[in-house]
Amino acid sequence: MNKKITASLLLAMTLFLVYYSGNIFAAQWEDIEVYPSENLTEIKMLSDYYDGLKDTPMDTEIYVFKGDKEGASFLLLGGTHNNEPSGYLTAIVMLENLDVDAGTIYVIPFANKSGITHTDPQEASPLGFTIETQSGERYFKFGSRATNPIHQWPDPDVYIHASSGQKLSGSETRNLNRGYPGREDGTLTEKACLGIAEFIRQENITMTLDLHEASPEYPVINAMVAHEKSMDIAALASINMQLDGVNIALEPSPTNLHGLTHRELGDYTDTLPFLTETANPSQGRLRGATNAELALTGIDKIYEKAYDAGALFVNFDETGHPIRQRVGRHIKAIDAIIQSYNEMYPDNKLEYKNIPTYDEMMENDLGAYLK
Amino acid sequence: MTLVYRLIIAILIFFITLDMFEEKSFKNQLNCVFVLVPLILRVLMIK
Repeated sequence: MNKKITASLLLAMTLFLVYYSGNIFAAQWEDIEVYPSENLTEIKMLSDYYDGLKDTPMDTEIYVFKGDKEGASFLLLGGTHNNEPSGYLTAIVMLENLDVDAGTIYVIPFANKSGITHTDPQEASPLGFTIETQSGERYFKFGSRATNPIHQWPDPDVYIHASSGQKLSGSETRNLNRGYPGREDGTLTEKACLGIAEFIRQENITMTLDLHEASPEYPVINAMVAHEKSMDIAALASINMQLDGVNIALEPSPTNLHGLTHRELGDYTDTLPFLTETANPSQGRLRGATNAELALTGIDKIYEKAYDAGALFVNFDETGHPIRQRVGRHIKAIDAIIQSYNEMYPDNKLEYKNIPTYDEMMENDLGAYLK
Repeated sequence: MTLVYRLIIAILIFFITLDMFEEKSFKNQLNCVFVLVPLILRVLMIK
């Protein structure tokens, strides 16, 4: 066939593929619907605290639950890394059920709002997954660890953390958890970090918990990481979790690793920062087929073999690490931190209800607590 | 800076499309399709 005719046909095919795949990618830009509990006080935007985020893809919702009585305040950050679904799912369970009696709880389900609009290239991530809930099947997107490159591009060769001079791989410039405390003249990701830090400062938030997941071969897993000023509360919380049968390691926030919530929010604001990690094989390097089932069940035969070979930092058997276990662990940690704070500061208690316990989550599964 | 990169990609798309029309081998023409799709998605800031 004449080369120009072939080229014309292939150009048409190119445009069709762009149209077809473009629609799939654009569908990822739609927000995940959440249904706040009737006890919601108000919804604010991060740009209310730092207007540099207004009308940007990083502006994100803050769900505010204020009790009738005065008390401490608590910020829950989900979706810092949107390929770690138990983070944002825990935040969504909280905001769809929460009732605060004393103090204030703030929930940001998608701290990196841009990160939930795409998936990481070359990871074969599923686009989303479905959970059976009280009202039927509900679809949740699967996201990326980083800001979408269509929102912040190009990456530098080397990412230099402004306040410390720390050098990391260039793609870390889009990792929200390497950009704190943020800066006004920084990238979009750094501006989001600044927005969160400003929000914490302006609302004088007592405690901040950043929810994460980690691959089973990563040493900081099923763990709580605490800044030195949070360590007393974290120690008591981890002991109480262990006494209740939920094993959790306690790690100090390294002083020489910069840009993370547990380091920089502790150094640059008055909040007591914590970070918790659960096990997520769908983000690991040793995993088998990457699909929605892996994200939800955490069952993976290759990881079972890796555990038998002594290569993992978490137990791994045929039951995997289902999402109800991972969300349950985060919820347990939230409660343990708050109760430990209340024990140490009884004149400034934070009191809430209507959130399932770890045992209830394991028995009834995640969908029972999603609308 | 992003505009500069998009301009570079737009120029690349132009020349790869020209190549596709000049190329005699069907296999190489098909390769141009696989190169063009992600580049067009990026210049349009879809992916």
